[in-house]
Amino acid sequence: MDRETVIRVARSAHLELTEEEIELYRRDLEEILDYFRVLDDAPSSDDLLVNPVEVTDVLRSDEPHMEIPADTLLEDVNTYERYVRGPRVQ
Amino acid sequence: MKIGLEVHVQLPTRSKMFCSCPTEGDAEPNTRICPVCMGFPGSKPSLNGEALKLGLKLAKMLECSIPDTTWFSRKIYFYPDLAKNFQITQQETPVGLGGVYMLGDKPIRITRIHLEEDPGKIKRTSDGSSLIDYNRSGIPLAEIVTEPDISSPAEARKFLASLLADIRHTIDLEPDSERSVRCDCNISVGKERCEVKNVTGLKNVERALTFEVVRQTKILRAGGKIERETRHFDEERKVTTSARKKEFEADYGYINEPDLGTYHIARMASEIENKETPMEMAVRFENDYGMTAKAARQIISTDIRLAGFFEDLAAATDTETAKCLVSGVVSSNWKGFEPTKGSLDDIISMVRRFKEGKITDVECNMRVRCIMTGDEDTCRICSEDLDKIVGRALDENPSVIADYAANEKAANRIIGAVMKETGGTYSSAEIVSAVRRLITERL
Amino acid sequence: MIDLSKLPAINERYRMFSEITSEASADAEFAFSAKDNLTAVGFRARAGSAILEGYEPVFDAACVEKMRSAGGFLVGKTNMDEFGFGSFSVNSAYGVPRNPYDAERSCGGSSGGAACAAAVMDGHVALGVSTGGSIACPASFCGVYGMAPTYGRVSKHGLIDYGNSMDKVGILSGDAKDLGRYLPVISGEDRRDPTSCNHPPLAKKFRKLKSVALVRSETSAGVDAAIRAAEEELRSMSVDVEAVSMDTLRYALPAYYVLASAEGSTNIARYCGLRYGRQDGDLSMKFDDYFTSMRSQYLGEETKRRVILGTFTRMSGFRDKYYAKALGVRNAIISEYKKIFERFDAVLTPTMPFISPRFDEISGMSALESYRADVLSVPPNLSGLPHVSMPCGYSEGMPVGMMLTADHWNDDMLLSAAEDWQDRFTAIPPEVSL
Repeated sequence: MDRETVIRVARSAHLELTEEEIELYRRDLEEILDYFRVLDDAPSSDDLLVNPVEVTDVLRSDEPHMEIPADTLLEDVNTYERYVRGPRVQ
Repeated sequence: MKIGLEVHVQLPTRSKMFCSCPTEGDAEPNTRICPVCMGFPGSKPSLNGEALKLGLKLAKMLECSIPDTTWFSRKIYFYPDLAKNFQITQQETPVGLGGVYMLGDKPIRITRIHLEEDPGKIKRTSDGSSLIDYNRSGIPLAEIVTEPDISSPAEARKFLASLLADIRHTIDLEPDSERSVRCDCNISVGKERCEVKNVTGLKNVERALTFEVVRQTKILRAGGKIERETRHFDEERKVTTSARKKEFEADYGYINEPDLGTYHIARMASEIENKETPMEMAVRFENDYGMTAKAARQIISTDIRLAGFFEDLAAATDTETAKCLVSGVVSSNWKGFEPTKGSLDDIISMVRRFKEGKITDVECNMRVRCIMTGDEDTCRICSEDLDKIVGRALDENPSVIADYAANEKAANRIIGAVMKETGGTYSSAEIVSAVRRLITERL
Repeated sequence: MIDLSKLPAINERYRMFSEITSEASADAEFAFSAKDNLTAVGFRARAGSAILEGYEPVFDAACVEKMRSAGGFLVGKTNMDEFGFGSFSVNSAYGVPRNPYDAERSCGGSSGGAACAAAVMDGHVALGVSTGGSIACPASFCGVYGMAPTYGRVSKHGLIDYGNSMDKVGILSGDAKDLGRYLPVISGEDRRDPTSCNHPPLAKKFRKLKSVALVRSETSAGVDAAIRAAEEELRSMSVDVEAVSMDTLRYALPAYYVLASAEGSTNIARYCGLRYGRQDGDLSMKFDDYFTSMRSQYLGEETKRRVILGTFTRMSGFRDKYYAKALGVRNAIISEYKKIFERFDAVLTPTMPFISPRFDEISGMSALESYRADVLSVPPNLSGLPHVSMPCGYSEGMPVGMMLTADHWNDDMLLSAAEDWQDRFTAIPPEVSL
């Protein structure tokens, strides 16, 4: 685990790290990933790949329904004329 | 030249894909939202069964193989219109894999079809920040991915038009502006390909691709190299531009979506009766009606409703008559004709009269054209005999004219008399219009 | 009538709540608390995170809703490690809960506030959440009973996600009977959470536990002595105890940390200074920069660590080695458990390898060292298996806990076992004087 990888991964996760943080996480991740190597020899199977118990065929019927009024939902949201205000996209 | 498309179609469900918010209604921003489609902490998605069913119908239509089990994945990318900063989509187990779509004689291979949620919509403001409307967030989408089997921008447009017609037929999709089609277009003139993202509408797809053909060809002729990149289509300037190199690498880091579980879709698909696909219909037409493959596809690709009408006409008359009429006068007037049950029945009864020897083939063709086009000149010629009968009835009941001026229902007396006299030779619509026209002339 | 007048003073001393009710008394049948990652109308839900400051949910979590309609009064939201990321409840933006047996020691985590409330307040039921041991660990450190049911038994509607394939809502209480009293209340299918649907219901009549497989592990001498004594006590209750070994257990901890951080990092993606919680950044910034600045400013150290780790383990090029592999390893571990359950009703281990550490010891631990503290509590959590931690002795005046793990859906056996154990074991409550 090198500095550049830590910076790259953090960047993709939208985190900006200080120099101290980069070093801290680099060291920690190196230690943790080293420990994860025990998985290389672990047995494995493809029985359940989503949940540890079977969760199957749970479907909702196509009935429109609104439990909470949209206005209630927007009460604490930073809005302008009902639009949610967001950062620059250009 | 190789072109492959990723076609996004909004599925016509009443509620959203992972929550019960309505898909249609109030156009005001952020009126059809809930904690799920706003990504509020604590909310959980639950899958709309209808969205899955529609996806499976399309997978079957595209002759895809359907895996036993499917599940969803999280595709992680950060954008203000994406409420959770991940999109619930299908990565490993799409609802359909490895299908084919026949564009006339030409097979276009379908890589996959998968389901995913639509993000919200963003408006840019003058001060640089953005305004987000999450009404669209969570609308179900089917994404159909083709192999690079399309060989020109025009063919891409033709493919899309044909594919959309079949999709509409299969899942009863209403053609309207809100549920427009969006495409990502992959195109390579030489070895390297470019992707033009998020192009809306058929015309723009053709324009964007044509622009790329010219651009890439120029570069190659000048001895340059095409750079593999993502491009945007500028609808106003009708050009594609390079999307600025991403500061943030596009590594979606897919994981399986544990909030929904898995679905046994092969079993579900086996219980879905799809309408006959256009391709299946063409084969049946060849077998049942002795048509050439070309003729069958010609009729079906014009409009699936035309094909349906052909079958009705063949049943009401006979195969040869139906083939002759449909490939002739009906096909040539189909464009611009809005078929209704009434107008189609009128055509059938007209052809019956021809079969019974009551009218000549020339007259039959003319009357059919009249029904389909409503063209006044044609109708007038057609109506000459009828006009004489109606005129006679009016001569016998002159009071009708004055009564009609007071109440239009007075015309019913004449209509009834003419119907009785002609005994089904003319359609009721024809008689009604002739009677009204002649009364008005005499007013 | 529930007297709530002492609540502010209690919280002042132990800091188990991140928010308490403003009422002085309540006319209700019983008092309960909810971990701060469960939504409750009338309370903020910040899950220990500064980025969620200001989030006031407009809906009750299913478990809160059910407790309220059963006559419960919600007294407050309990403090926790940010988003559940931690084993000592030291990773909260809203204070650190103090162990009622020794204020210099941790309550455990991440449901540390819940365990503390259960230990200190008479007749209190605490709703907790466990992903990798977040109920068992604090229950053990605070000397209370803590039950994490089978994955999917209790609806997660209203639970702020950590690792969705492992998150479970459970109960902590000083009284084992509360587990059996309230687990049936909060259990059951909820269409708002698909993972809670199409499962066998909780048995109405709790079956007796007849046999346990004891898995020996490396622990401190004090913990070891307490477990050996408990072993004998269980035998005297005519439970068959037999030592077994489980080879795959050593893979559970790494598999868990891969899956939990992979899933966790996707859940944390949504916190970006938009829509809820902190929304006070400079919107004229480019969205990537805006998100980055808000996240860097308001997410805590451990959250960042797990987000970086989780993002790495699912990146292309590493996904198969870590994320996909861990999914497969989980299956192998579940299979080994299932083999054991053919012969035994439950697996017995200590809950934690040591008694609650002092805060100065915790601050000296590396990240990996603190992860390793979960070595015993992680396997059932990774596997979605129901487990209960019960006080079974004391070492240096601090409680020691033992953990029983049963097969999927056999939660009822653990509930009866906890009640039977309580009849035999005399707990020493912490000294609480106000």
